[in-house]
Amino acid sequence: MADLLKGRNAVVTGAGRGIGRGIAIALATEGANVVVNDPGVAADGSGFDKSPADEVVEAIRSQGGTAISNYDSVVSVEGGENIIKTCVDSFGRIDILVNNAGILRDRMIFNMSEEEWDAVIAVHLKGHFACTKPAAVLMRQQRYGRIVNFSSISGLRGNTGQANYGAAKAGVAGFTRVVARDLGRNGVTCNAIAPSATTRMTATVPEAAAAIRAQSGVAQPRLATAGPVERTPEHIAPMVVYLCTDHAWNINGQIFHVGGGTISLAAAEMPVHSITKRGKWTLEELAQIVPTELVYDIANPAPPPADLDLPGRPAKPKE
Amino acid sequence: MGMLEGKVIVVTGSGRGIGRGVAELAAEEGAKVVVNDAGVAVDGSGSDRAPADEVVEAIRSRGGTAVANCDSVASMAGGESIIQTALDSFGRLDCLINVAGILRDRMIFNMTEQEWDDVIAVHLKGHFACTKAAAVVMRQQRYGRIINFSSISGLWGNAGQANYGTAKSGTAGFTRVVARDLGRYGVTCNCIVPRALTRMTSDLPKGPSQERVVGRGIEAWPPDHVAPMTCYLATDQAWNINGQVFLVYGGTVALLAHPLPQRTIFKQGMWTADELIEMVPPMMEGIANPAPPPEDIDVPGRPKS
Repeated sequence: MADLLKGRNAVVTGAGRGIGRGIAIALATEGANVVVNDPGVAADGSGFDKSPADEVVEAIRSQGGTAISNYDSVVSVEGGENIIKTCVDSFGRIDILVNNAGILRDRMIFNMSEEEWDAVIAVHLKGHFACTKPAAVLMRQQRYGRIVNFSSISGLRGNTGQANYGAAKAGVAGFTRVVARDLGRNGVTCNAIAPSATTRMTATVPEAAAAIRAQSGVAQPRLATAGPVERTPEHIAPMVVYLCTDHAWNINGQIFHVGGGTISLAAAEMPVHSITKRGKWTLEELAQIVPTELVYDIANPAPPPADLDLPGRPAKPKE
Repeated sequence: MGMLEGKVIVVTGSGRGIGRGVAELAAEEGAKVVVNDAGVAVDGSGSDRAPADEVVEAIRSRGGTAVANCDSVASMAGGESIIQTALDSFGRLDCLINVAGILRDRMIFNMTEQEWDDVIAVHLKGHFACTKAAAVVMRQQRYGRIINFSSISGLWGNAGQANYGTAKSGTAGFTRVVARDLGRYGVTCNCIVPRALTRMTSDLPKGPSQERVVGRGIEAWPPDHVAPMTCYLATDQAWNINGQVFLVYGGTVALLAHPLPQRTIFKQGMWTADELIEMVPPMMEGIANPAPPPEDIDVPGRPKS
């Protein structure tokens, strides 16, 4: 304990607040040297502020750990390269990359602007690529590395008003599975966390919006504020630390849901039910067999209301 | 027959391969089809009106109704133009099928920014650009069908495709959210995960590589076999199937699981790393490393044989 990551050199993006801050401090507590990256933006990505990163570095140093700030945005290839370079220049090598940085720009799909789409895809997806690519080059050369990416139940199960975020966060899961296969043979592991926690980011979903979603019968992913179980940002860090240790050398390409004291391995996206025939299906055959053999135990997550005229839906018998 | 009679359907990337099969079957079933294709190479380069025009000609020669559109999906203007073509030609839009896609394969440590950006643009921006425009129309008319395209490259993982796997896992996530944004308006949004021998898959290694499994067996699955389930989801009968992901190849259609919690460890309060060292391995029982490090490299933590 307290030296599980002694001598390891880590980058944590978006480490100035929330989950990222918790991870940076936890890695440092276990002996790692940490680059605390954060440009100090608002939850929607605007602004710039060095103090979140600086405060975390100060907190780490005050407990006897080693850390340095970096304020680059992950959104560009130059930014990503510079973040990784900061680790190599300061500490001599990079062992661990935690891609935690992210923003939100919620909007229903029919109202979502190009800018809202682009900004979220850029920070989450381009951000993961921009940091991971230069780290991958080094980790492959040294035949050692740990990459921990951040996904979300928003994309893995689905949530309303987050087409950009859901696409990006499901995209991170796919990125994780591929990078795990690109690098595994070089002694590198790449896994992802889908966290549930009460942070600045989840606090931006207004209570009113959540209530509207619930009222209209739209299925909800488990909300961070739900129930008596405490889900602080700090609860996410232990699993990240574990994945970075030598003990986790053979865990690769996996997605973990983490919230409070609950850690779950995500199911692989494998067949649940299947139908097979020789040759090509006709639409008439599918119309007959799909309802009874393929989709009989799944629910529409956003069913149309009873008063909507729907071609194909059986008419309700008159009272 | 006639299960899509009168439906107005846009199929992006329908000049060849899977998209062509979808457009042709939809037309056969009575739909009026916008055949969109920018006529690019698999890597996205070039442009050519001929693929889209040929498919329109083929549909018309069989008595069907179709028009060509050659816009790229990768911009908001392109997506809007594609949807507008349906409205201008046929007066409404019932179904959008987002097939268009390109490949720029490279291992992550060699992947260029351009290779990343181009693939994300066509698949993800492309899905958004067309779907956003279609969603406005479908919500107003309180009816619609959106069918997106994913890939096992992203859902299961395939080496050398960090860009494509990301984009394609992204379209599955996009599907799940759009289904929830639009379901209450009589719109469904689902996703197809196809496996077929096409221009895009014909180069895949078919040997015993553990990490590149996508090509295995692919010669047996013709592209037009992806069309039936795709078109079924567009019918009125499929009104209550929403937010789902289907694997389709040859004569097989499978409902895929969403990546939700499957095995769980729990404690009251905060885990310590020492507790996880003890509790995670049993949770991972039977789960293999898809790319295990070979014996001859030094792996800290691996027991010596």
